Amino acid sequence: MNSIIAFPARLAVWLLLAPLLPGIINKVKAWVAGRRGPPVLQLYYDLARLWRKGVVVSTLASPGFIAGPAVAWVAVLAAALLLPLGPLGASLSFRGDVILLLYLLALARFCTAWAALETGSAFEGMGAAREVSFAVLAEAAVVTAVLTLSLQSRSVSLSAMLVPAAGSGTLLLAVGLFTVLLAENCRVPFDDPNTHLELTMIHEVMVLDHSGPPLAAVLHGAAMKLLLFSVLLVQAVLPVGKLPPAAGAGALVAGVLVVTVAVGLVESLMARVAFRRVPLLLTTAFLLCVFALLIAWKGGAA
Amino acid sequence: MITGALLAAAAGAIALSLMASLRAPRCWLATVLASTLPSLAAAAWVLVSGGTWEWRSALLVGGESMHLRLDGVSALFLALLAVVGVAGAAYSREYWEERAHPVSAAAGRCWWSALLLCMGLVLLCANGLHFLIAWELFALCGYFLITLDGQRREVRAAGWLYLVASHTGTLALFAFFSLLTARTGSWDLGPMRERAELAPLFWLALFGFGVKAGLFPLHIWLPSAHANAPSHVSAILSGVAIKMGIYGIVRFSGWLPAPPAAGWVVATVGVGSAVLGVAFALGQHDLKRLLAYHSVENIGIILIGVGFAMVAAAHGQAVWGALALAGGLLHVWNHGLFKSLLFLGAGSVLHATGTREMSRLGGLWRAMPWTASLFALGAVAISGLPPLNGFVSEWLVYLGMFDAVNQPGATVVAAIPAIMLLAVTGALALACFVKVCGVVFLGAPRSPAAEHAHDCGPWMRGSMLVLAAGCVAIGFAPIIFWTALHHAVVAWQGTWTDVPAPESLMTLSLLQMALAAAALAGAAWLWRRAHRGGWARAGTWDCGYAAPTARMQYTAGSFAGIITEWFAWILRPERHEHRPEETLPQRAAWQEHTPETVLERIIQPCARVVIWVSAGARRLQHGRTHAYILYLIVGLAALAILTLVWGR
Repeated sequence: MNSIIAFPARLAVWLLLAPLLPGIINKVKAWVAGRRGPPVLQLYYDLARLWRKGVVVSTLASPGFIAGPAVAWVAVLAAALLLPLGPLGASLSFRGDVILLLYLLALARFCTAWAALETGSAFEGMGAAREVSFAVLAEAAVVTAVLTLSLQSRSVSLSAMLVPAAGSGTLLLAVGLFTVLLAENCRVPFDDPNTHLELTMIHEVMVLDHSGPPLAAVLHGAAMKLLLFSVLLVQAVLPVGKLPPAAGAGALVAGVLVVTVAVGLVESLMARVAFRRVPLLLTTAFLLCVFALLIAWKGGAA
Repeated sequence: MITGALLAAAAGAIALSLMASLRAPRCWLATVLASTLPSLAAAAWVLVSGGTWEWRSALLVGGESMHLRLDGVSALFLALLAVVGVAGAAYSREYWEERAHPVSAAAGRCWWSALLLCMGLVLLCANGLHFLIAWELFALCGYFLITLDGQRREVRAAGWLYLVASHTGTLALFAFFSLLTARTGSWDLGPMRERAELAPLFWLALFGFGVKAGLFPLHIWLPSAHANAPSHVSAILSGVAIKMGIYGIVRFSGWLPAPPAAGWVVATVGVGSAVLGVAFALGQHDLKRLLAYHSVENIGIILIGVGFAMVAAAHGQAVWGALALAGGLLHVWNHGLFKSLLFLGAGSVLHATGTREMSRLGGLWRAMPWTASLFALGAVAISGLPPLNGFVSEWLVYLGMFDAVNQPGATVVAAIPAIMLLAVTGALALACFVKVCGVVFLGAPRSPAAEHAHDCGPWMRGSMLVLAAGCVAIGFAPIIFWTALHHAVVAWQGTWTDVPAPESLMTLSLLQMALAAAALAGAAWLWRRAHRGGWARAGTWDCGYAAPTARMQYTAGSFAGIITEWFAWILRPERHEHRPEETLPQRAAWQEHTPETVLERIIQPCARVVIWVSAGARRLQHGRTHAYILYLIVGLAALAILTLVWGR
C-alpha cells in the first residue's frame, strides 16, 4: 500500500519540483545584484510554452536528434528514481544500484552529446567534446565519493549508503561533491548558464539547435539532474535517514535549499575560471573526495 | 555422450567446408553453419548441465595419444567462437565476394574454415603437445587471413609484425609446456593445483598468452593487424582470436597453482591496459585502428575481473571472487559480440566509401541507416551503458570489487584504485565512441566518397543483426546466462560451487528491459509531440553563421584534443604545423598523428641497437685468410691462458 502511494509521490517530486531550483538560483542572483529578477516559476512558464511550440530541425539531423533528448530525459528520471528521497525512500533498492545510477547519468551524457553532433555545427561539437572530456574527471570524483560512502556503510546499495552521516571527512566530501555538482550541472565557475554564444561554453552550447518540445525535455532534464545532485549531496552529508520522517523531510528540503542558494551565491560572487583551469578545479574536487575516502578508510580500520 | 556426437558432427562439417571452400561458396557457407550449430549446442549443453566431456583415444599424434576435454571454461569460449565464426562467414560472402577478389576470396574461405577448426582444437586439446600444435596452426591461419589482400604494402607489414609477435609468444609457450612436462613427466593437462613447485611457470604463460591477448604493453602487433585485415577477419581476430590468450590465462590459472603475486599483477596489467588502451584509441583517426585499441581496453577489463578472482582465490574469498570472475567471463562474450559488430559496421563503411579515415567520412546515417543504427547500438554496448550487455558485465566486476573493498584485509588497497580507474575508463570509452559515431555517421559528409555511400546488402546486414541481437539478449536477460557463468566459474575453481546468483541480477534484468521500453516510448512520444506543433527543416543555425561548410565541422582530432593532451606523456603525438603567415596567408595546415608508442619508441630503437651491434660483428668477416688464422691463434692463446689460470 505504502509503495503504491509513495511511487507517485516520488515521481511528482522529481517531475514537478525540479524546475523550481533554477528559479530559486536566479532569484538569489537577482537579489545579490539588486534586481527584481524573473519569477521563481519562470522555468515552468518556459517549459509550458516550449511544449506547445513547433520545432525547427537542422537539415543534417537524423531522427536521433529528437530521440537523444528523449532518452537522456528518461535516463535522468530513472537515475533520480533510484535515489532515496529521505523519508519517502527509493522506488527500488538493490545491491549495486549506485553503479546503475552512475551509468544512467553516463547514458544521458552520451545521448546529449550525440544529439549535439547531429547538426554538424563546430560550436556544438566543441561543447560535446568538452562535456565528455570533463566528465572523465567528474566521474572519477563521483566514484570516489561513492567509494567513501560505501566504506562507511559497508554496503553497495544507495538506501543503506546514504543513511549514516559521513564521518570526520564530511566537510571534504561536501566540498568535493558540491564542486562536481557545479561542473555536472554547467554552473559557474565551469560554465555560464546565462549565455549561449561564447566559445568557452560547455553544456549550453550543445543544445543550441534544439527547439520546441525537445528543448523542453532538455531543460527539464537539466533541472532534474540539478535536483538529483543536490539530493545526493545533502543525503551524503546529513544523516537524513536516521531522523524521524518529518524531521528528515524538513532536513532534506532545507539542505536542498541551502545547496541551491549556495549555487546562486557562487554564481553571483565568482567569475568563470579560465578554460585551462577547469581540469585543475575538477582534479581538486577529486582530491578532496580522495582525502574523504582515506579518512573513511583509516577511520574504519581504527 | 551427446556432447561427443555433436562435436564429431561439427568436426565433420568443418572438414567438409574445408573441401568446399575453394570451389563452392554456397556449399561452404552451409557447411560452416552446419559445423557451428552443433558446436554451439555442445557448448550450451556443457554450460547448462555443468558437466565435463572427456575423450581419450589410443590414436597417436606426434607420439602422444589424443586427449580432448570440454568443460565450463572452454565451452564458454567455444560458444563465442561458433557465433562469431558463422556471422563472419556470412558477412564475407558479400564483403569479400568472388567478383571483387577473384584470387583471395577462395583462399579466404579456406583459411576461415581452418581458423575455426584450429581455434576449436586449441579449446579442446588437453595435451600440451597437441595444444602447442593447434596454437601454432591457429596463429598461421590468422597470418594468412590478415594478408589476404597482400598487394598492399602496409598489409604485408602488418602481417609480418603479427607473425613475429605471435611467435615470440609461442616461444614463451614452448618453454612453458616443456618445463611443465619436464616437471610432471607427462604432456597431459588437467587440474594440478596441489603441486606448488609449478607456480613460477605462470609468468611464462602470462607472457605467452598475453602477447596473443594483446594486453598492454604486449599489444604492439594488434592495431596494425586489426586495421589492415579484411573487416570480417578483424572481427574474428578481435572478437575471438585474442580471447584465446584470455582462455590460456584463465585455463592455466585455474589448473596450475599461481604465485602469490599473480592475481595482483594480472589485475594491475588489466587496469593499465584498460586505461591506456582507451587513451590510445582516442588519439586515432583511422576507424579500424581505433576499434583495435578498444580491444586492448576491453581485454584489460576482462583481466581486471580475472585478476581479482585470482586474488580472491588466494585469500579464500569465494563470494566476491566468483562475481569478479563471472563479470570478466561475461565480458569475454560481450566484447566478442559488440566488437565483432563494430568491426563489421566499420567494414560496411569501408566497403561503401573506400576509406577508413574518419576525417573523410561524416553524415553516413542518411545513406547507411542500417549500418549507422547497428553501429550506434554497438557503441552504446561497448561504452558499458545500460540497457545493453556491456553494462551487465562491468556491473558484475564492479560488484565484486566493491565487495572486496568492504572485506577486511589487503584487498582494499588494490580494489579502490581499480574501481576509480575502471570508472575513468568507462567515461573515456564513452568520449571515444561519441566521437566515432558523431564524426562518421552524423553531420555533413566531408568527402564525395561519403556523400555517395550506399548501405550494405542483406548478408552483411543479417550477420550484424545476429550479433546485435546477442548484445540485446545478454543486456535484457543476464539472469538466463548466470547458470552458464556459474558453471564456468566452478570449472575454474572447483570449490566455489555454492555461490548463488546475486539476488539483484533479476532486478537488473527487469530494470534494463523497463529502461529500454521507457526510452523507446519517450522517444516516440517526443517525436509525435514535435511533429504536432509544426515541423520545419532549416540549415544548422550555428549562431547565425550564413555559409557553413562540411570542413568547418569538428573533426575526430579536435574532439579528442582535450583528453589526448592529458595523455600526451605516453601518446607522444607527432605534430606538423604550418602556421598562417603574412597578411594574406596562402595556406595553413595542422596534422597530428599518434604513433604506436611502445613499438616505435621502445621496440624499434632496441631492434636498431641489435642491428647495429650485429653489423659491427659482421665486420670481422671479410674473407682474408691470414686474419682468420690470427683469430684462431688469439682464440687458442686465450683458451690456454684461461686453462692455465683458472683450469686447475
